[in-house]
Amino acid sequence: MAYEPQADFGTPEVRADTQVTLTIDGRRVTVPEGTSVMRAAAECGGAIPSLCATDSLAAFGSCRLCLVEVDGMRGTTASCTTPVAQDMIVRTQTPRLEKLRRGVMELYISDHPLDCLTCSANNDCELQDTAAEVGLRDVRYGYAGAHHLGQQPDLSNPYFLFAPDKCIVCSRCVRACDEVQGTLALSVEARGFASKISAGQRADDFLSSDCVSCGACVQACPTSALMEKSVKAHGKPERAVITTCAYCGVGCTFRAEMRGEQLVRMVPWKDGKANRGHSCVKGRFAWGYAHHQDRITTPMIRESIDQPWREVSWDEALAFTAGRISAVKAQHGARALGGITSSRCTNEETFLVQKLVRAGFGSNNVDTCARVCHSPTGYGLKTTFGTSAGTQDFDSVMDADVIVVIGANPTDAHPVFASRMKRRLRQGAQLIVIDPRRIDLVRSPHVKAAHHLPLQPGTNVAVMTAMAHVIVTEGLADEDFVRARCDWDEYQDWARFVSASQHSPKFLEAVTKVPAAELRAAARLYATGGNAAIYYGLGVTEHSQGSSTVMAIANLAMATGNIGRAGVGVNPLRGQNNVQGACDMGSFPHELSGYRHISDAATRRMFEQDWGVALDPEPGLRIPNMLDAAIDGSFRALYIQGEDILQSDPNTRHVAAGLAAMDCVIVHDLFLNETANFAHVFLPGSTFLEKNGTFTNAERRIQPVRKVMETANGLEDWQVTQALANALGLGWAYTHPAQILDEIARLTPTFAGVSWDRLEREASLQWPVNDQFPDGAPVMHVDGFVRGKGHFVVTDYMPTDEKTGPRYPLLLTTGRILSQYNVGAQTRRTANTAWHPEDVLEIHPLDAENRGLKEGDWARLASRTGETSLRVSVTDRVAPGVVYTTFHHPETQANVVTTDYSDWATNCPEYKVTAVQVTPSNGPSDWQEDYAGLTARSRRIAAEPGE
Amino acid sequence: MTTDAVIAEILAAHPREQSALLPILHDVQAEFGYVDAAAERIIADALNLSRAEVHGVVSFYHDFRSAPDPRPAVQICQAESCKARGIDMLMQAARDAAGERVRLAPVYCLGLCSVGPNARVGDRLHARLDEAQLVSLVTAQ
Amino acid sequence: MSGTHDRLVYMANQIARNFAVQGETAAIAATARHIHDFWDPRMRDAIMAGEDAGLSDIAAGAIARLRGTLRSG
Repeated sequence: MAYEPQADFGTPEVRADTQVTLTIDGRRVTVPEGTSVMRAAAECGGAIPSLCATDSLAAFGSCRLCLVEVDGMRGTTASCTTPVAQDMIVRTQTPRLEKLRRGVMELYISDHPLDCLTCSANNDCELQDTAAEVGLRDVRYGYAGAHHLGQQPDLSNPYFLFAPDKCIVCSRCVRACDEVQGTLALSVEARGFASKISAGQRADDFLSSDCVSCGACVQACPTSALMEKSVKAHGKPERAVITTCAYCGVGCTFRAEMRGEQLVRMVPWKDGKANRGHSCVKGRFAWGYAHHQDRITTPMIRESIDQPWREVSWDEALAFTAGRISAVKAQHGARALGGITSSRCTNEETFLVQKLVRAGFGSNNVDTCARVCHSPTGYGLKTTFGTSAGTQDFDSVMDADVIVVIGANPTDAHPVFASRMKRRLRQGAQLIVIDPRRIDLVRSPHVKAAHHLPLQPGTNVAVMTAMAHVIVTEGLADEDFVRARCDWDEYQDWARFVSASQHSPKFLEAVTKVPAAELRAAARLYATGGNAAIYYGLGVTEHSQGSSTVMAIANLAMATGNIGRAGVGVNPLRGQNNVQGACDMGSFPHELSGYRHISDAATRRMFEQDWGVALDPEPGLRIPNMLDAAIDGSFRALYIQGEDILQSDPNTRHVAAGLAAMDCVIVHDLFLNETANFAHVFLPGSTFLEKNGTFTNAERRIQPVRKVMETANGLEDWQVTQALANALGLGWAYTHPAQILDEIARLTPTFAGVSWDRLEREASLQWPVNDQFPDGAPVMHVDGFVRGKGHFVVTDYMPTDEKTGPRYPLLLTTGRILSQYNVGAQTRRTANTAWHPEDVLEIHPLDAENRGLKEGDWARLASRTGETSLRVSVTDRVAPGVVYTTFHHPETQANVVTTDYSDWATNCPEYKVTAVQVTPSNGPSDWQEDYAGLTARSRRIAAEPGE
Repeated sequence: MTTDAVIAEILAAHPREQSALLPILHDVQAEFGYVDAAAERIIADALNLSRAEVHGVVSFYHDFRSAPDPRPAVQICQAESCKARGIDMLMQAARDAAGERVRLAPVYCLGLCSVGPNARVGDRLHARLDEAQLVSLVTAQ
Repeated sequence: MSGTHDRLVYMANQIARNFAVQGETAAIAATARHIHDFWDPRMRDAIMAGEDAGLSDIAAGAIARLRGTLRSG
């Protein structure tokens, strides 16, 4: 579509049961009660000039431009702060209003540099537009008096600048930071003529302030005072394409604003149902990796991993790959082959990779990175509710009275959803945080958790059981709900189990380290505080009892009746953009798309008929088992799309040994990632900006990803997989991902009603979309559980086998930081490194002092598995005995220290608990230096192709 | 007692509510004669406000200073009534008397409009000032 | 899988331990079913072919049950 900013209705949409009819400039308008006159006028096409109003923010009434005359009211009134009334008669354009507006506008312009022709907002500026709208023709006041011209811009933020001389102090940025983002990093300093937008305090600039660079202020600014540096560099966009962000599982929709093939900026799309017009520093700004010099755009092969890479044509690369795969298959059988799909790629690409493995390779050895993040969610929610997905849409949080956050850090990992959550908390919802670490939500401006349960890492099940104990023994369970919706006998078994005295908060306190009184209070609040919603993350799943905790959470929700309506539910916060989709698409070795077991003959027959091949009826290998089998010699070739298992998976040495043992490792990626050090074939990938397809976010929302620019390597990722399939003689002939989506819909009952055309029309759909739910399902299990009766599962707490002791006395837990994403492949190649240049180890002051460590010192972090070195940050965010780090940087390789322990049901690694020791260190460890050498060697590319 | 300890005592004397911000700022200003960036941070943290919010409030009010100023101060009304009664004509003499030693601070109305020009030193008001009285008031500080 | 027999035994025991709360009979059935549904055939074959040493009672019961059902099939 041609470039045009999205319509702005001035004040937020109001929902009300009562409608009000009024007359604006002779036109009859009907709007919900409580709507502003300004919005009512805009909705009937008569926008009123304004500067301080925008529909993402509450009305402010400061710019004095939106004045209107209302019959029966004295004088002129600001239309933004005046609600409509029945039969009100409004005039928006009279000689008096014209004169007033022109006078106000004249004052604004009298202190504004008139450099419109060279301004980066030229032709895309509300101040300019408004001056035109009010008919400003002359400015009588010169620059002889006091003015703000010539003030120096604040260039500290890598992505946007603040130019105070262009600022009209409308406060939109300050209010956006308060109301939309909830960080409150900005304020108006001083008063009157001296008023100035200020980030943080007097000595701060944007970078040193609390600003999280979400872009809400830039979005809200009506002038070029807050402006993307990329617009300054490239000029005004000429077209916009709506697409879906490829970072986290929130799935924000953006307008990719383009000039030719140049992406000028990403702007959050107000109609996006996941983000509602908001964004974070990653999605909005951190897209520069797409053009980073490290990107590989030519296929490469090598005979063995000790050789340099050789750049070759696609044909040669595919022939080489097909030859190797066929040789392995001939010699070792189909079960020696496998593939890994990516939660970063589209549903269509993921579906094709698992199809290639099942139908082309002939094995079920397909797995996905969800193995290492949310596989326990799939298992746990399928077992209890009958479907492997969260129960709510994101909007649901605005109806929650009690919000429970377990093992998740939304302000860092799911920032756009966190802003919605904080908005609800500021409205008065109560918060319970269950996390070993004092995450920002526990206490940050205007947000304070009612209860923070700082549990010992690895004791989630014990905490859930203790909460259940309180709910059942104090008679707080919703037995009517349970009788109606769940299996009553199973409930009674469960209730008996949790009621036992050894499951009381007091008894379990020794294990969980959570004060019993605090836990009791939290349990009571969850059960009795109104609509209670649970949001959880990898702090739940990445444990040896990850699946048990998911089921324990589901038990709590069922026992208290917090399922099946807005404001409640069990909500996994998915890490990557398409974790939900990758799981839906049949990426797990035991199941086909739509979570149907491979051993189910009817389902298999459906696929066999459609694909024209026989399928292996036995489950295949999971990622860790593939690596075991590789070392053993029975697994020899692996196609990895868009995932860096060497960096992201636990016990790096074990992963390296497994990869090194294979005959053929095919890495299909944007960059020569860490896994590629062990690859024989490198197939260049395409970014989300270069392809069509769909992503499915954490609320089961299927959203289109649209190609906004040409591919750098000549092929979209699904085309690469298709080319590989065809090199193996499969004869695929898809010409657009829409056809793949049709195949998915044909073979997957929960996707039956999904098509590309429908997504073009409706923008997004929340599965299931089928005859039962023709328009999808924002909230699941409304009238009954998918599986029929809700299934209570008794979950018995088992301590992890990873134990602290004299040699490894501390518990390491891992997590994420706002500015970096996962293994950092993208964000490390952007200016986001300004905020997080390296991984650091958080350690409690007592533990630091015992070890003679000070802020910024290098420390050696060692576990039974391995060791690495990194700098320490001394903080009481972590409890004594617990240390914390992130794994965004390959130089740190935090997974060198994580262990092989994993979830009992799904083998999801126990990333969140590793017994470690921390000691002072001089710098990088031997492993880090050896690894740096290996990386340098294995990334060599021969000077001339064919050399 | 350290600065932090004194601020902690002041905070302890007030409820931990956002509405306590202004009374706390007054107490800190009264104790130290200023509210600096470090104090803003401590107060923000205690009241669960952002430091930008507290800075916005502190910088809004002229009475709150961000840095110590050991000089004595004389507040002289510059509002309409005192202007009408000739305060402008006394200001040069007042400035000469003050030099660098005394800080002259403009205020806008001390509530004694019928008896201006007016000034204030501490809590004490001075009305019906002529040049000599104003100069001696400044000099006496 | 070299050294992996130990790992399989560990995995089977871990599964068994988490089902143990259901009581021995149910736990044996659940463990057997879990291994049947989620393990690659070579892993199942390996654990069935290996010694039962190191297996917990429930895990051993489950493996015995798998030997009965899978081998006859």
